[in-house]
Amino acid sequence: MKEKIYEDLSGIRLRARAAFLVIKIAFVLLLLTFWRIQILEHSRYWRQSEANRIREMILPPQRGLIMDRDGRILAMNNAAFQVAIIRENARDLEYSYEKAADILELDQEVIQQRVAKYAALPAFRPIVIKENLRHREVARVESRRSELPELVIQAEPKRNYPNTTCAAHVLGYLQEVSPEEIRSGRYGVRRAGSLVGKTGIERQYEERLVGSDGVKLEIVDSLGRPMGEISRKDPVKGEDLKLTIDLDLQKAAEKELEGREGAVVVMTADRGEILAMASFPTFDPNKFINRFTPEEWLDLVRSREHPLENRSIRGLYSPGSIFKPVMALAGLSNREINPGTSFYCSGGVTIYGHPFHCWFRPGHGSMDLAHAIQNSCNIYFYQLGKRLKIDRISEYARLMGLGRVTGIDLEGEKAGLVPDPDWKRRTQNLPWYPGETISVSIGQGPLLVTPLQAACVTGIIAGRGMPVRPHLLLGESDGERPARVGILPEVFSPVIRGMWMSVNAGGTGHAARVEGFDVCGKTGSTQTIGRETIERLGMDRTSIKTHSWFSGFAPRDNPGVIVTVLVERGGMGGATAAPVAGRLFRLYRRKYAR
Amino acid sequence: MLDRTLLRHFDWVLLGLLIVNCLIGVAAIYSSSHYLTTNYAVRQVFLLAVGMILLVVLLALDYNHLVTYAVYFYFGCLAILAGILVFGKLIAGTKSWIRLPFFQIQPSEITKVVVILMLARIFAEFRKPRITLGRGFLSGAVVGVPFCLVALQPDLGTALNYVPIFIGALILAGIDRRMLALLLIVAILAGLFGWNFLLKDYQKQRILTLLSPGEDPLGSGYHILQSKIAVGSGGFLGKGYMKGTQSQLRFLPARHTDFIFSVIGEEFGFLGVVITLTLFFLMLLRMFQSLMLARDRTGVYLVFMIFILFTGQFFINVLMTIGLFPVAGIPLPLLSYGGSSLITNCIAVSLVMNVRMRRFVNV
Repeated sequence: MKEKIYEDLSGIRLRARAAFLVIKIAFVLLLLTFWRIQILEHSRYWRQSEANRIREMILPPQRGLIMDRDGRILAMNNAAFQVAIIRENARDLEYSYEKAADILELDQEVIQQRVAKYAALPAFRPIVIKENLRHREVARVESRRSELPELVIQAEPKRNYPNTTCAAHVLGYLQEVSPEEIRSGRYGVRRAGSLVGKTGIERQYEERLVGSDGVKLEIVDSLGRPMGEISRKDPVKGEDLKLTIDLDLQKAAEKELEGREGAVVVMTADRGEILAMASFPTFDPNKFINRFTPEEWLDLVRSREHPLENRSIRGLYSPGSIFKPVMALAGLSNREINPGTSFYCSGGVTIYGHPFHCWFRPGHGSMDLAHAIQNSCNIYFYQLGKRLKIDRISEYARLMGLGRVTGIDLEGEKAGLVPDPDWKRRTQNLPWYPGETISVSIGQGPLLVTPLQAACVTGIIAGRGMPVRPHLLLGESDGERPARVGILPEVFSPVIRGMWMSVNAGGTGHAARVEGFDVCGKTGSTQTIGRETIERLGMDRTSIKTHSWFSGFAPRDNPGVIVTVLVERGGMGGATAAPVAGRLFRLYRRKYAR
Repeated sequence: MLDRTLLRHFDWVLLGLLIVNCLIGVAAIYSSSHYLTTNYAVRQVFLLAVGMILLVVLLALDYNHLVTYAVYFYFGCLAILAGILVFGKLIAGTKSWIRLPFFQIQPSEITKVVVILMLARIFAEFRKPRITLGRGFLSGAVVGVPFCLVALQPDLGTALNYVPIFIGALILAGIDRRMLALLLIVAILAGLFGWNFLLKDYQKQRILTLLSPGEDPLGSGYHILQSKIAVGSGGFLGKGYMKGTQSQLRFLPARHTDFIFSVIGEEFGFLGVVITLTLFFLMLLRMFQSLMLARDRTGVYLVFMIFILFTGQFFINVLMTIGLFPVAGIPLPLLSYGGSSLITNCIAVSLVMNVRMRRFVNV
């Protein structure tokens, strides 16, 4: 054993030393590696660790309210309640499902299916199991908080239109923004899934109503569980908007249209504030928030009555006799007639070899301009049209604002059509036939207007040449009044006299008469099918209902209000539209006129 | 048996370094697990105490006796490893644990020390300048059998621990080109065989991840990436004790066990890394001094293999935390939480102290 002490271990010790040298070098290299990662590349990893732990949460703002001119709510935000389950708070999930099914009157399987759909989410994330809770259900869940801590009530603001279908076309509706719309940038920085205004005021003033997002930076752990808040920028609520709409008049207008198809525009005569704008049939914008059933949606979109269309600004109709005042203004301005000029109506006349008829077959006899307007005599205006020719008619139609949009603050307004030979050559490559001029003279033919345009024409007459600028947002666009149209003020007097007589002296518009309110107006009944077609098909002329128009203002001096009514296939203007207008004039007078 | 001479040569320095390294570990364990229900830091202190007692008790026996009886320990260990393969229950997907009341032990850990004793016995009387084929195969078999048993559990990570030991023994015994070539061929064949027939998909994925960790950051590269982010975001001074977002917010995997070094890197920064590396290096250095003082071949082999065992584990673990080695499930010696590993390491250090203490004693 002694030799062990002298055993020569130098060989293996040398090898150990060599190995240790390698290890020492490895330690130095390791230190250099850490130097690189922790010092040289530090900022990169620092950013990554910050990005890991900080989550940006968008806090959606509340959409602004929409009110009528008196501050009555037209669109608001309700809290919609939903119940969610937080699985990690449950002692026994089976038991929770059973209890929840009981409380919410749901099938237990339905709950389990909904939870299973989101099973991949971390257990602390709430999973919604029922939406649109009734208050009774909210109370039931809340009262069992200690027993069932896994069930939580979440409140979410939801757009609500308390008057349902009332003013639906004015307000418009909200829908989820589409990916194309996000890309187009029209809706700013909206995210997928957010609701944006698609039509009406909701669309027109989207940017003002929407407010701006808040941002919350919070610390999260690796599962995304919030661990604290770093900073918070609260969302800015959207602007509340006050409209020119008068809810009372709006409701009345819609009540008049119920069961019919048509449009009503009520507007102040001085500033063009829209007091009521109704279009029928209508829809309930709340349905767009609460989701449609597929059948409801198809009904709405495929319906032949087009309930989503705002007929007031998008419906194109022949103006018929309500175009006659425009004819009169053109005739007087061009000195083709004067107020005393008379034509003889025998019930029919042959012009350019064609027979043309008055609506009153026995004939009106000889009458001057005011009486022609009062009785809506066709013959008078055929003769006037023959003298004016199409170019001057279209010139004055345009002067009165036809053929272009009125500029109301709603999207999708249509411009209508004022025909002339140019237009005909351009679109049909055909020459203008003089007979067409005769049709246009009584507002038929290719001439097309929207109810709002008709109201604006009436507005210019009421203002004796001062146009109105129709608008829906109260207190704005009041700036400078548009320049007066190029028609002398005195030219309007005989026309207005005729319109006054139409209502107050036993004319076609007598049903619009309001005692002591001096309503001036013009009726119209427009053929929806040409007379020749009717005769060719051998149809009974009386069974074809005409569109029924009335457009007027009141009172005659210092006009306050303009009412335009259109009822599709409503029959004679005097029989259907005029009484509707009369009731609206009366309501306006009770509320606004002293 | 423990006379005054022995006590005079008790290696207080190594004991001190051992305890300091363990305490750094305890601090990091506390930081990374204080929000969990189990108090891992207190447990680790308790396990350290157990390890200390075993360390001192084992010093009473001459290491030469231990080496002499190594055969019995060795076959005992093989029997246990084989036994749990047959009778063991799967825990966390492997059969590496023996479950006892209150705790569970991992026999593959203590087998490391037993394999070292066994190799020391094989080479104790080996005086040739170069290793012979016979000794080579013998030592290869001594390491290979437990390696395979552990790899079958399957716990490839722990099995990998045996490889540095074997390499350490070969280095000392002297290895020539012929032998090296043979070893490489065996290794490559074993590797190919293992890749095609033994490795699980997730293990292959971990190795592939090493080549491109950026790919699939939420998949298998996730752990490595999060660990690198932790270390890198620590910077020079670190984010502060218990303020590491990567560990506190649980982005780091296995924070108190395999990835404890990432916690140190994140919370104490480059400075903390340097200090930890230095303290560990000093411990290795102290072990190496004992190697130089050892009175016999057995002692040199023993100390060197333990030295290599510590070095190997340390490097594998640290390189893993910065994405330079596959996620192998090897703990950081002395610092990571884990009873079997800590106690085994205490026993290993005890052996080193044993060699140093008995350097002047003639048996």
